[in-house]
Amino acid sequence: MADKTITVRAARFDPEHDKEPRLQSYEVPFYDESMVVLDALNHIKNHIDGSLSYRWSCRMGICGSCGMMVNGTPKLTCNAFLRDYWPRPVVVQPLNNFPLIRDLVIDMDDFMHKLKSIKPWIIRKQELPLGAGEHRQTNEQIDDFRQFSECINCMLCYAACPIYGLNEEFLGPAATALARRYNLDSRDEGLKDRLPVVAEAEGIWECSFVGECSVVCPKGVDPAKAIQQTKLDTTMRFVLPYGNRE
Amino acid sequence: MPLNWWTRQRHYFLYMLREFTALPMALWLIWLLYEISGLRSGAHGYTPPRSGLFVAFSVVVLLFSLYHSYTFLKLAGVIMRIKVLDRQIPSRVIVFTMFGAWAVASAVIAFVLIWFAR
Amino acid sequence: MDFESYDVLVVGGGLAGIRAAIAAVEANPNVRVGMVSKVYPMRSHTVSAEGGAAAALGPGDSFETHAFDTIKGSDYLADQDVVEAFVREAPVEIIQMEHWGCPWSRNPDGTIAVRPFGGMSTWRTCFAADKTGFHMLHAVFQTSLKYPQIIRHDEAFVTKLLIEDSRCVGVVALDIKTGRFDAITAKSVILATGGVGRVYAFTTNGNICTGDGMALAYRAGAGLKDMEMVQFHPTGLPFTGILITEAVRGEGGYLLNKDGERFLKRYVPNKMELGPRDIISRAMVTEFEEGRGFEGPHGKYMHLDVRHLGEKVIDRKLPFMRELGREYVGIDIVKEPIPVRPVQHYEMGGVDANISGETEILGLYAAGECANVGLNGGNRLGSNSLPECLVFGAAAGRAAAHYAATAKPATANPVDAMLWDEARRVESDYLEKKGGNERIGPIREEMQHEMDAGAGVFRNKEGLSRLARNLGGLRERFEKVKVDDTSRTFNTEIIAALELDFMLEVASVIVFSGLAREESRGAHARRDFPERDDEHFLKHTVAYHTNTLAPRLEYRDVHITEYQPQARSY
Repeated sequence: MADKTITVRAARFDPEHDKEPRLQSYEVPFYDESMVVLDALNHIKNHIDGSLSYRWSCRMGICGSCGMMVNGTPKLTCNAFLRDYWPRPVVVQPLNNFPLIRDLVIDMDDFMHKLKSIKPWIIRKQELPLGAGEHRQTNEQIDDFRQFSECINCMLCYAACPIYGLNEEFLGPAATALARRYNLDSRDEGLKDRLPVVAEAEGIWECSFVGECSVVCPKGVDPAKAIQQTKLDTTMRFVLPYGNRE
Repeated sequence: MPLNWWTRQRHYFLYMLREFTALPMALWLIWLLYEISGLRSGAHGYTPPRSGLFVAFSVVVLLFSLYHSYTFLKLAGVIMRIKVLDRQIPSRVIVFTMFGAWAVASAVIAFVLIWFAR
Repeated sequence: MDFESYDVLVVGGGLAGIRAAIAAVEANPNVRVGMVSKVYPMRSHTVSAEGGAAAALGPGDSFETHAFDTIKGSDYLADQDVVEAFVREAPVEIIQMEHWGCPWSRNPDGTIAVRPFGGMSTWRTCFAADKTGFHMLHAVFQTSLKYPQIIRHDEAFVTKLLIEDSRCVGVVALDIKTGRFDAITAKSVILATGGVGRVYAFTTNGNICTGDGMALAYRAGAGLKDMEMVQFHPTGLPFTGILITEAVRGEGGYLLNKDGERFLKRYVPNKMELGPRDIISRAMVTEFEEGRGFEGPHGKYMHLDVRHLGEKVIDRKLPFMRELGREYVGIDIVKEPIPVRPVQHYEMGGVDANISGETEILGLYAAGECANVGLNGGNRLGSNSLPECLVFGAAAGRAAAHYAATAKPATANPVDAMLWDEARRVESDYLEKKGGNERIGPIREEMQHEMDAGAGVFRNKEGLSRLARNLGGLRERFEKVKVDDTSRTFNTEIIAALELDFMLEVASVIVFSGLAREESRGAHARRDFPERDDEHFLKHTVAYHTNTLAPRLEYRDVHITEYQPQARSY
């Protein structure tokens, strides 16, 4: 037990030296059943090879930094347990579908632009003054959008989405889920401001419902549901005479 | 993305299968329209092929259409938001109702067809 | 090498930093605000805050009781004028967050709900289930996207403050993606870089909590105040240190020792599980020492039991706790008690700042955990830190915008020279260094274990002195550090080296400040000086940088308005 080890094969890529990413093997001590893939990466960085690059912070599944492909599936590495892979080796690669910066680090600037494009803030025709206190909102009204507000922007859904892989213009799962989060919020009146981005061809209609985004989501956000619901809603607005209600 | 991306993951494969089922279903339906158009010259104009190959093809298309309907109804349950008395109806209930309605509709059509064909 | 220039530059993209940026823009829409953060803002450690944010909102509450609870909780080391201003402003900020979309949990009538919390005499902690920090951070970050005046530099690491004629005129930042050094100048700079929990091994803090802002300000000549006051949260998961929120006890959870006894009756009989964190952590360690803790593979622990609350309450109010229990401990908290033990959680101390966030350096402001504005004293009450980020983030933002309106811009020439010097320093210390045989990881791990052992829940002179010597040894080893990674592209090892450099600096301030405070107050519990000593130590410790590891310490009177120090019992 004391000298149990696991083989970690981590993707390495330094644009200053490499043309192609390659896999490098490391033997890592596996001394506790609650060890996660991120612990193994940290062991490598601290004791074997300090040049291995990856992002991480909270190691409790809430900051969204440490998403990587683990044996081909997008995972939060702080939440992928070594016990589920051992004694077979675990292969860690950067998230699919994103430009690669270095080793396990992807470029997610594209998402940051998409996030901004859906206007992820409360839009109101008339701002409530601070002195008037809070908007009244029941827990049941929060339940309408709660699921979609749990998105931690970890990018696993984008890595799982073949549509995004084929067409990077696609707005994608997380951004649509967040647009829906605001559209369903009883305090918000910004539906019409968001429609041009969400309901255009590269928005929801690009999605052909592979559904894998919802499978890999570590927070149960179910972005596929958000997208299909938005399709239904926009269609209803178009078809029904009273559909253009706010 | 490599061309074979959809073979690497079970979910991707099932998705491609689901999307693919539309193609043979469309072919089968076009043929059905053609057959029906034959009815313009009276009941004798309707001459469905009786070859074993065609029966096999029809069975496959039936299976495809069942699979396609199944995925569609399951999805419908997920995306429909119906509120009764300010309470969201759980998606399981919606899916169950959908499948129930499907079964009833199929039974009614089968009954009508069999009744008039007597 | 680039040269960006702003009116206000915020360092740090957590709750305090973003709140400051928005406040600066709202105070003066013509202000250009830069925000530099070493991670994307939504990764900031605010995201891990769970339990809630305190504000005297309800009709049954008052500013006076919130102020008194905070002051008593601080063991009378809080500046009372600051606390009084804070409690008045907190409800306004909570409402502001509501208007910005934070999904606060609600009462049946649709108003914001509150829950009980440790050390608070009434229910006043607003919450968004048990992911309050996550929801607040995402709400405020997403709201900040609507202000075109706020320009972000994501994933850039500040290595040095630019000081010109004893005024702060910007920062030198290393762009992590490209390895390029930039001078980012500004008429005023706000530090909002968060805590320094990573100097400890067993901590709830994320990897990014390395005290960067504290070290930057300290090296630039600002004081670090009350750094010996380090909070240990009673309920962390053994091994991972993942935080189990105080709201678990707020909602009615019990802390049990191995005899199944609610042992807090011997320590805080009137408050039980809702006592303040410093006292409960000490109670747990005392129970461990007296043999009444459970023994586990990762040390001693207690049980936190919520089984009697029932599945419905747990799923409604503590769903994240159930998720954490299931995933990281393999238990269902509905059916099994949670193993917990005290864990480093928060640094009450920080960059010495006044009620507007102004530090001793002109043009330099600080807010949030990296600052010490005098709110938390010797022990912060749970759920006071999120509103602290809002109230003092906003105050610093407004003050910085106001100052920037009349301040002169930095002059280009010295800035260029300073940028060049700083880039050369980092390159020769790490990238181009010849020789050296020490690794970053082992030095950091040793520092963390030394800090756990010597500057934990209980301290004494012997342990702190040994710790001070050992930190000196680690500093010498750090001078011989060799990095494996010489790439310019996303070199996380250079960042780790710079962070360790900062952490060694701040750790020594914690230790020397603790050695000098020969009393027990708040979170600083000296075994050799078990009593509070108001005669000598009703004072803030302020540490200044010297050429040695030991800081120069000064003492400053605590501001007392109407709450005279009394014995602190619950």
